Amino acid sequence: MDAVTYPDKNVIEFITKNIIPLRVPYNLEPLATDFTIKWTPTLVVLDKNGKEHYRTVGFLPPEEFIPSLLLGIAKVHFELDQFKDAISNLEKILKDYPKSGAAPEAVYLHGVSNFKTTHERKPLKQAYERLTKEYPQSEWAKRALPYRLL
Amino acid sequence: MENKIKWETEMKAAKKQSRFENKPVLLDFFNPG
Repeated sequence: MDAVTYPDKNVIEFITKNIIPLRVPYNLEPLATDFTIKWTPTLVVLDKNGKEHYRTVGFLPPEEFIPSLLLGIAKVHFELDQFKDAISNLEKILKDYPKSGAAPEAVYLHGVSNFKTTHERKPLKQAYERLTKEYPQSEWAKRALPYRLL
Repeated sequence: MENKIKWETEMKAAKKQSRFENKPVLLDFFNPG
């Protein structure tokens, strides 16, 4: 991460604009135990109270790191019932990083967030259809399978 | 624009900044080697 991802100007710009960066050694207690750290790098996205909403383990290049963080930020908003903010971050993934590893989950969560906002089933079926068309091999296409019946 | 990431090193300070800026926190557990 130090050699490739963190020096990247797009990564620096994204972090500076969107998230508070906190870095600690993997064995710093009590955090290492509190977060059950077993490998590095482990990246965790927290809300303002320090509650975990997303984590990823292992190296990510810049073109995967930024959409992964966007997904993490979206999950913070989603799990705090801030669905409009979740949708905004998910749409950034789908617009700017459609080929990233985060994109299929973003499609799924986008559908669920829109369902939560509108209480209509259509967004769930749209998520299924998009996943089937654009990411047919992803696990999220499988998870959305029940929505084909809506 | 910044030319490097300005990491916080303490959770308390990061949470305070998170509340102040209304942004989530990225917590990176790293191996200093």
